[in-house]
Amino acid sequence: MEFLQQYGFLIATMLQQGLLGLSLYAPLMAGQLSLASPGFYALGGYIAAIMLTNPAFASWRDTLGYGIYPLTWLLAALACALLGVIVGVPALRLRGIYLALATIAFVEILRVLSLNLSITGGATGIFGIPQSFGFVDRWQYLWLFLPLLVVTLIFFRQLSKSRTGRAFRAIREDELAAGAMGVSPTRYKVLAFVIGAVLAGIVGSMSAPFLNVWNAKQGTFDASIAYLAYVLIGGSRSMWGPLVGGALLSALPEVLRGLADWRLVINGLVLVVVSLYLPQGIVGSLSPKPRPPTRPTPPPLSEGPSGPPYTSETT
Amino acid sequence: MKRTLSLLLLSSLTLASAQKVATPIPLGIAVAQTSNTALLGQEEVIGAKFAEKLINARGGVNGTPIKLVFQDTGGDVAGAINAFQNLVSKDNVVGIVGPTLSTQAFAADPIADRAKVPVLGPSNTAKGIPQIGDFVARVSAPVAVVAPNAIKQALKLDSKIKKVAVLFAQDDVFSTSETGTFQQTAKDLGLTVSTVQKFQTTDNDFTTQVTAVLGASVDLVIISGLANDGGNLVKQLRQLGYKGLIIGGNGLNTSNIFPVCQKYCDGVIIAQAYSPAQPSAANQVFVKEYKAQYKKDPPQFAAQAYTGVQVFVDALKVIDRKKKIGEWNLSDLRIELNKQVLVGKYNTPLGAISFDKEGEVNQKDFYVAQIKMQDAKNGSFVFLK
Repeated sequence: MEFLQQYGFLIATMLQQGLLGLSLYAPLMAGQLSLASPGFYALGGYIAAIMLTNPAFASWRDTLGYGIYPLTWLLAALACALLGVIVGVPALRLRGIYLALATIAFVEILRVLSLNLSITGGATGIFGIPQSFGFVDRWQYLWLFLPLLVVTLIFFRQLSKSRTGRAFRAIREDELAAGAMGVSPTRYKVLAFVIGAVLAGIVGSMSAPFLNVWNAKQGTFDASIAYLAYVLIGGSRSMWGPLVGGALLSALPEVLRGLADWRLVINGLVLVVVSLYLPQGIVGSLSPKPRPPTRPTPPPLSEGPSGPPYTSETT
Repeated sequence: MKRTLSLLLLSSLTLASAQKVATPIPLGIAVAQTSNTALLGQEEVIGAKFAEKLINARGGVNGTPIKLVFQDTGGDVAGAINAFQNLVSKDNVVGIVGPTLSTQAFAADPIADRAKVPVLGPSNTAKGIPQIGDFVARVSAPVAVVAPNAIKQALKLDSKIKKVAVLFAQDDVFSTSETGTFQQTAKDLGLTVSTVQKFQTTDNDFTTQVTAVLGASVDLVIISGLANDGGNLVKQLRQLGYKGLIIGGNGLNTSNIFPVCQKYCDGVIIAQAYSPAQPSAANQVFVKEYKAQYKKDPPQFAAQAYTGVQVFVDALKVIDRKKKIGEWNLSDLRIELNKQVLVGKYNTPLGAISFDKEGEVNQKDFYVAQIKMQDAKNGSFVFLK
C-alpha cells in the first residue's frame, strides 16, 4: 500500500506512456511513420478538461454525475477519429520522412491554436480539473489505464490476425504489390492512422484529470520524438515493443532519482547503447529470430537424372 | 470493491498518522534542478541552502535543527508530481517549498493539498495559485502587483513617453499573464499601446517583431519572456536601431541574460520583488553570506526560496513553544503548521510579509532596477529610487 502510494503515479505514467507508444505503433503496422500522436493526445485532453471545467458544461456534469468521465473518453475518441480522417486522407498521400514532417506540422498547428484560443486557456492551459470518479490518489488511475491497456493489447492481437491486419502488413512490406493484389492502400493507411489517433485521444482524455492540469506543453514536437523513441527502443515489429519502450523510458529517470544529475546521463546512455547494439529494439532482439529459409537439398550427384541415360546409342 | 479500496486507503492513512516527526525536522524543497527551468531553479536551491545553514547556526527551531530534503522537479508537470509524491510519502516532510513554475504548481500542488501538506510557492506568480487549495500559499507576490512599478518608473525617467509596444512569449504561462498586467497598466496610465507582438520562448530570430516595433515608432518597449529569448529580443531591437527605453518582465530578471544580450542589455528596466538593499536584519545577514561566497548580490529567486524556508521555520517555532515538535504526529503537525503559516507575520529578506486567509502573500516593498553593463559579459542591477 505504501508502495502504491509512492510509486502509483510512476506506474500509471508507465502504462500511459506505453499506450502512447502503441498509438504510434498503429500506423507503423501499415508501414506509415506518423508523429501525430501528441496532437491527438493533446486534443483528447483538452476535450476532457473543457468538459470537466467549463461553465458551459455545468448542466451536463450535474445530470451525468460520474457518467461524464466515460462521456469525455467517448467524445475524445469520436473527435480524434473525425480529425484523423480529415488529416489522414491528404497526409497519407505522402510517404516516409515526408509524412513524418507533415504530421509534425499538424502537431505544431494544434499547439499554436491551443495557445491562442481562449477556450483552451492560452499558455496557462486549464487547471483545477476534477478527479475521475472522485479518485484521491494517483495510483487509482491504474483502474483506468490498466483496463484500457488490456483492451488495446487484445484489440491489436485480434487485429493483426484479421484480414485488415494482413492488409496492413502487405502495405508495410510493399505498397505497390499490395495495391496490385486488390488491397486499397489509401483506405487501410487512413484506417491505421485513425486507430492510432483514437487511442491517443482516449489516453489524453484520461490523462487530463490524472495530471490535474492541461496545457499546450502536452502536445509538442518533443513529445513526438519521445514517442518515436519508445517505439525504436522497444521494437517496432511487435505490439509489446512500444509498450516496453514507453514504460522503460518513462520509468528510468524516476527509478534513478537517487543519482541526482547523473540520472539524465544514464538515460541518454541507455538510448545510445540500445539503438547501437539492439537495432531491432529490446523486444525485437528478445523474440526468437525467424530461421533463414533453408536451401532445398540438391539431389545427390551420383544418382543423376532418372530415365534412360542419354547416349548417342539411343538415337 | 469500493469497500476493500476504502479500507485499504484507511489503513494506509492511519499508518501515516501514527508517525512521529523526525529529527532534524525534514522540510521539502521541490524545484527545478535540471532542464532549462534550472536557470531559475538553481538560484532557488542556493537560496534554500543558505536558509538552512543560517537558521541552523542560530539554533534551528528552538534548538532542534532542520534538514532540507531536495527533490528535482525538472521542467515538466510529471516531474513536479513525482517530486511532490516523494516528499509527501517517502521523505515525510512537514512542509514543501516549491515548485519553480506556475504550471508545475497547478499540477503538483493538488497532490500536497489532498495529502494535507502545507506548500509555499517560492516563484509561482500566475493568477489562481493560492486558490488551488487550503494548504497552498506563496511568498512570491503575484505579477499584477509587481509589474506596474516598472512602467511608473519608466514614466519617471522620461515623462514624454506616449506610445508603447508590447511583446510577449505566447507559449509561456508567466509571460502571457504578465503581459496582460503590463497592457492594462499602460492604458491606465494614459499610454497608447501601438502594437502587440507575440513570439515563442524557443525563437531566436525576431526580425518580424522588431520591424513592427520600429514601424510603430514607439517610445517604450515592454518585453515579457524568458532569459534566452528575451535577451535576444533586446539585442536585436538595439542592433536594428531602437533607441527608446525597454522594460523587461520578471523572466528577464536574472544575471543569466547578460551573456545573451551583452552590452545591449544596458538600460533595461525590471521591476523587483526583492532588493539586496532591503534593511531588515534577516536580509542583511543573507546578503553578507551570499556575497562572501558568490561575490555578487543575491538574485530575487534565491531570496524568495530563502523566505519560503524561513516562513516555515518561524511558524514551527511558534508551534514548538506550545508543544515540542518531536511530540507531534506528522499529519497533525502538517495541519497545524499550515494554520500557523497563514496567521503569522514574518520579517524576511523580502521585508515584512504576511498572508491573507487564502494564502496570498501581503508584501509591502517593491523595487525597480536598471541593468548596468560594465563590459560585454559583466553587469549588475542598479536599484532606482
